[in-house]
Amino acid sequence: MDTGVRNRKNKSSPEAEKAIKGKIEEITSVDNHNMLKESIEKLKHLNENINRDSGDGESAPDTPPPETAPEDSLTTPSPTTTTPSTTTTTPSTTRTTESTTKPSVTQKSSARQKSKNAAKSAAAAPPLELSLRLDGMSVFLFVLAFITRIWKLETPKGIVFDELHYGKYASLYMQNTFFFDSQPPLGKQLIALAAYIAGFDGNFKFDRIGTPYDPVVPVSAMRIVPAFFGSLLMPTVYNTMVELGLSHYTGALAAFLMIFDNAVLAQSRFILMEGILMFFGVFGLLCILKFRRFYHQPYSVPWFVCLIIGAASLSACVCVRYFGIFTFLLGLGILTRDFWMMVGDRLVSERQLLGHFLTRAVIFITIPVALYIGCFYVHLSLLYKAGPNDNIMTSAFQASLEGGLASIIANQPVKVVHGSQITLRHTHGRTCWLHSHDAVYPVKYPDGRGSSHQQQVTCYSYKDVNNWWIVKKPEVEELVVTEPHEPIKNGDLVQLVHGLTSRALNSHDVAAGMSPHNQEVAAYIDYNVSMPAQTTWRVEILNSELSDGYWHAVESQIRLIHVNSSQALKFSGRQLPDWGFRQHEVVTDKVLDQEDTIWNVEEHRYTRTEDKKEREKDLLRSEMIPMERKNLTFWNKLFELQYKMLFNNQENVAGHMYASEPLDWLFLKRGVAYWISANSNAQVHFIGNIVTWLSGTLSLVAYLGLFVLYLLRRQRACYDLPEDSWNKFCTFGEVLGIGYAVHYIPYFLVDRTLFLHHYMPAYIFKLCMLAAMIEHGHYLVSQHFKAPRIAKLYLGAVGVWMVSIVYVFWFFAPVTYGTTDLTADQVMSMAWRETWDLIIHKQ
Amino acid sequence: MAPNTSKSGKSTPKVSQKLNSVEKIFIKYRRCDSPQTWWIVFGVVCLLTAATRFYKVGEPEHVVWDETHFGKFGSWYINRTFFFDVHPPLGKMLIGAFGYLTGYDGMFPFVKPGDSYEGVSYLGMRVCCTAMGACLVPFAFIIVWEMTFSLPAATLAASLILFDVGLLTLTQYILLDPILLFFIMGSVVGIVKFHAQREKPFSISWWAWLCFTGSMLSGSVSTKFVGLFVVIYVGLHTIKSLWDLYGDLNNSLTYVAKHFLARALGLIVLPVVLYFVYFYIHLTVLCKSGNGDGFYSSAFQSQLEGNSLYNASMPLELAYGAEISLKNARTGGGYLHSHIHLYPEGSGARQQQITTYSHKDFNNKWLVKKWNEEPGDWEDDDPVELVKNGDLIRLEHVPTGRNLHSHREPSPVTKRHHQVTGYGENGMGDVNDVWRVEVVNGEEEEVVKTVVHKLRFVHYLVGCALMSHNKQLPKWGFEQMEVTCNPNVHDLNNLWNIEENVFPKLPNSSFEIYGPNFVEKFLESHTVMFQGNSGLKPKEGEITSQPWQWPINFKGQWFSAIDGFKVYLLGNPIIWWGNLFVLAAFVLVYFYHAYRTQRGKVDDTETKARRDKTLEACGWLVLAWGLHYLPFYAMGRILYFHHYFPALLFSSMLTGVILDYLLESLPSMVPQYLSSSVYPWLTGLFYSTLIYSFYLFAPLAYGMHNLDPSFENSTVHQIRWLDSWEF
Repeated sequence: MDTGVRNRKNKSSPEAEKAIKGKIEEITSVDNHNMLKESIEKLKHLNENINRDSGDGESAPDTPPPETAPEDSLTTPSPTTTTPSTTTTTPSTTRTTESTTKPSVTQKSSARQKSKNAAKSAAAAPPLELSLRLDGMSVFLFVLAFITRIWKLETPKGIVFDELHYGKYASLYMQNTFFFDSQPPLGKQLIALAAYIAGFDGNFKFDRIGTPYDPVVPVSAMRIVPAFFGSLLMPTVYNTMVELGLSHYTGALAAFLMIFDNAVLAQSRFILMEGILMFFGVFGLLCILKFRRFYHQPYSVPWFVCLIIGAASLSACVCVRYFGIFTFLLGLGILTRDFWMMVGDRLVSERQLLGHFLTRAVIFITIPVALYIGCFYVHLSLLYKAGPNDNIMTSAFQASLEGGLASIIANQPVKVVHGSQITLRHTHGRTCWLHSHDAVYPVKYPDGRGSSHQQQVTCYSYKDVNNWWIVKKPEVEELVVTEPHEPIKNGDLVQLVHGLTSRALNSHDVAAGMSPHNQEVAAYIDYNVSMPAQTTWRVEILNSELSDGYWHAVESQIRLIHVNSSQALKFSGRQLPDWGFRQHEVVTDKVLDQEDTIWNVEEHRYTRTEDKKEREKDLLRSEMIPMERKNLTFWNKLFELQYKMLFNNQENVAGHMYASEPLDWLFLKRGVAYWISANSNAQVHFIGNIVTWLSGTLSLVAYLGLFVLYLLRRQRACYDLPEDSWNKFCTFGEVLGIGYAVHYIPYFLVDRTLFLHHYMPAYIFKLCMLAAMIEHGHYLVSQHFKAPRIAKLYLGAVGVWMVSIVYVFWFFAPVTYGTTDLTADQVMSMAWRETWDLIIHKQ
Repeated sequence: MAPNTSKSGKSTPKVSQKLNSVEKIFIKYRRCDSPQTWWIVFGVVCLLTAATRFYKVGEPEHVVWDETHFGKFGSWYINRTFFFDVHPPLGKMLIGAFGYLTGYDGMFPFVKPGDSYEGVSYLGMRVCCTAMGACLVPFAFIIVWEMTFSLPAATLAASLILFDVGLLTLTQYILLDPILLFFIMGSVVGIVKFHAQREKPFSISWWAWLCFTGSMLSGSVSTKFVGLFVVIYVGLHTIKSLWDLYGDLNNSLTYVAKHFLARALGLIVLPVVLYFVYFYIHLTVLCKSGNGDGFYSSAFQSQLEGNSLYNASMPLELAYGAEISLKNARTGGGYLHSHIHLYPEGSGARQQQITTYSHKDFNNKWLVKKWNEEPGDWEDDDPVELVKNGDLIRLEHVPTGRNLHSHREPSPVTKRHHQVTGYGENGMGDVNDVWRVEVVNGEEEEVVKTVVHKLRFVHYLVGCALMSHNKQLPKWGFEQMEVTCNPNVHDLNNLWNIEENVFPKLPNSSFEIYGPNFVEKFLESHTVMFQGNSGLKPKEGEITSQPWQWPINFKGQWFSAIDGFKVYLLGNPIIWWGNLFVLAAFVLVYFYHAYRTQRGKVDDTETKARRDKTLEACGWLVLAWGLHYLPFYAMGRILYFHHYFPALLFSSMLTGVILDYLLESLPSMVPQYLSSSVYPWLTGLFYSTLIYSFYLFAPLAYGMHNLDPSFENSTVHQIRWLDSWEF
């Protein structure tokens, strides 16, 4: 196995570097000396990065690589000091330990390679070999992870936790039925795709957690998607750690910690989003970090590949969960920071800088936008049938779905005319229809105010015959549609007569029941008694350009302005008490321009008869002819869906039994019960590996403490770490520490019920930090104690610690896999903390 | 306070031969080479401030906007009545003190905005608040002067604040805002002045400014919690200066430690002590029962004169056979209650209802029994047996003789919880009546105590905990609060405490002894305040002001909407929009220079020094602006337009600094023959625009008399530049 390639320099590069240095020194003037020094440092650093990896081939392999040099040179300050020796007496103890402990893996993988391409391996050592060796470790990690993930994948054969949702979404995809979810669709689509390939027809009712699956549900096909991505995560993490300048051991350790964490395992074993989310996020970051390597080969193929795949993977992360935006921003931040370093590189001309900037900008704008819109395009074109929860969408949107509203409003006339019978829907926000019924406002409210004691007008959330209103021009008496039709235009005055009670929509200067600062709306017949009727309303059509100024059913969004008081009919959002049958209040408000004053006609037909009885019969009859769906452009649908997803306040499941707070996550205070068998204590409980978990938290504290300490000492000109170690320490801290922070801190501001699994993306960064800190600890130990024994002791301690991790993993495996029947005592023995609420069936 | 002009680091304007007198004055003004000039300018600014702020300060003679709250709070301090509010007490205490000192008797009810003040001496409170608000202008002047040593910059910044009608409106009434803004600006004045003393550390003036900053900081936090942002600002400023001191290798570590300790003393210890003092005064002054009692625990209430728990005496320990009432320990929790009505058909088992009820009532009485013994089993002379932590008990509802009971039926409102009912006859029920008492953080076998202990009642068989929350039962339950058995045992709504305890065989002891001490009261008021604050959520359908609307002056706020006198809080759009524009300009300039530095471009030292100084000052101001503005985006509570005003102050000061920088740079960019006159012209143009816009919008602040016949033709109708302005 030849690893020496990594140390071989591109011959031209050190010379170039020297030349650069010389040049820079020449132009160095006194006043900007420091600044320059800094940029030289950076430049050096960059060059090193390039040098250490320049083994990708094109340069002639004229210097034969030292046969058995230690493969790791990431920490080597400068290539020239590297001694190509295998002995353990090299000055850097970091390397020492690596070369002492490395051989096993190296030999294993090299053996594999040799068997593979025995013919090639003899003479030249092409870089291909290098990448294969890397793959060796990666493949090993992947396989190990994959085995742990797919072991007994089919069990439990029941709906586990959020599989309830994601499984249901998959089945709805199969049936092309529209559903609404406030997270973007990519992850669900991947699962649906797997289900589709496995031949699932969507005929399974995901009704509640624990329901056993029918044989028709391809459980393992669906579960294998998260399992696959969750396993790919391990090699990705490994490579990312290496890319951050940490040793391969550290990378492997990070992956090890992740493989043997029960929470990561559970999250990537069932039909859940986190496995997919975490993979896309970390993989995107890996590409962005790899991109650094190609600093000196701009616009080359690998340069583009890294940038484009990075952008795509990061945006895929956003397309799985909106919270992925933080991973995206982290990646963008790293890219920006690297670009800023490039600005300081005076070998790059301003024109080149502009080119670089534009390329990055174009890639990082077009790809995310295209991917995001693309997955919604798939989403909307697949789901063309009306479904159970499309009520949340506007009438126009619903009408574009097959079989839903479309079937009801089929054949209905478009133009609203004098004599039209309509239902008026509150367009945005809560779905409800303008409603009136044979009940009056109470004479006096509890707070002593009086009402008009007229017939109530409310907004009712269910379809009802009392939602029908007849449009009437004020000057025409009869209610039948006149021939020729008298269409209502933008700005026309109308009255609205309630279908069953024949009272007109009225508003007046009386404070409304629940919103005293607004006017009451009532239904009123003008018997010429005490007060003049105030029943005229002006129709303002907001999107009148769509319909040439005419009032159209479904698509026109209108505001009804009360003529006497110039106030608009509004859904106030408040619920009426019992006297109003808990329906919602309707008022008029002087602030016209707000969402709650927008209404649209949903159902619509013409009044054919003047006879009241006939008309009522007409109203009570409803026709149901399935018809073609109405077309709404993709963009209109997309914008509406986006709007609803981002601004729809989700029903909050306050006080869920397994909800937890961000602070609880740090110490793994609570888990989540995912599933319990109906007839035994076999269960899936989502809980992490407590050893890893607490060590991770500790490592963050240690990093912060050390960082502050180093910084304080440096400010007093005590440089504890050599410059390159310090740079390394900062580099991984920057990515991992900031990565952790941006994935964790925002949850403190989230006003929703949170669960432990929301912590998973941040947890990945924490584990990486833990591995990195162990390497740093090793570095410190070997620096401070010259005797190699101490360093070995340290490694031994780490080994013991790793064993304990595996033990804890194994101990909790029964509740992670959910395959074993447990006795009550066994379950109790797992409740290591009082707050872990594992479930025991009562005998 | 006198300026030390030699510090002025900016370029001296070129003196050409032919200068008219105006130009000479301007040069004097720009150089500011004598303290006299400084004092004259400062004096003029102060005079103008006083004139604009105190003009029509007594109008309108009715309650304006939130005066209805803060006036009322002030009255309560004078009457010593306890109340609950989400803000810390200092601001309200000051209002109370102003009223007290100016002869207000605290009798005016402040029912609603628009109530006439006839015969009430409200003017004192208004004038004092206005006076605090008026200090903002000189404060801004001093801050900018200390940051830039440029008289024009200081004047510009001060006048931007002086001529803003929004600030004028906000600081003219009995509100917390003038007080809060005063303390915020005071803190910044303190820290810049303190920074200016850095050449003579540990001198008297150094200590004086340090303590001044500390006391101002405590003032701003004790007025409203948003005052915390300025604490962060001052903290960052202090860390930066300490970092520089520490990085100077000439300073020994002991010396640095001395600096550190001094600052910790002045900026941490002093404010904390003062904060405690304010609360101590607050809790001592308010000693009479009022309408805020219900928010506090039983123990807290026992110390309020006039409360039913005041001076009450009952056994300290709980014994079997005692009659007790149980209060839910969450904020505003009611008493465990039952009555002879049953749950209706369809809401679980048809057994007797259990609710919580906020009023004291005979139906709140419960008898404590052993799980396996009835009261009849005891002889009268049996020894008293006390209830201990972890004991199994039953609770019998005294008037109806039914036991507190739960079973696996869904609760009527919260379906995921189990139903709680009253079951059995004359105390005979079944095993589902057994509950385990747990004392929160209690020792094993510890005796359960009245009032002081928080208790959890865990159902023996189901393992759920007795819980109550704010959800009301429908009409059949008389709209009392639902009581359920919560499977999540750790929920904070599961906690109860014993409020009344009747047991003749145990000696009564006065409540006084286990009433909370100051620290406990202090902590409890904070929990209650934070809960209150997080409870201020916008309700469905309610329009709340959005942070993005504030800087663009999108919408104002009615202060007085009474016919005949209307006041509308709205910023001077020229200033507000100008601020935004300048902020954007700053960002551009900043990045331009950062880019140049990164590219290694070198400027001549003088320009560089001037630019660095300006950019540093701007950096601090932008930071302060961001700290006072951006966090609002993350707040879930209901927001109002006036929350932007602290940020506005910093934004205006920033504009002053940047404009001065641009004005100073301009003469070098225009032809020579113009260079001496361009500065006066631009300055003149700037001030006249400012004054004219103030004149235009001033009616919004000073009141619009819309019943006046001339109103219809007045300028008010022409200045409605945006449709969203509602006047």
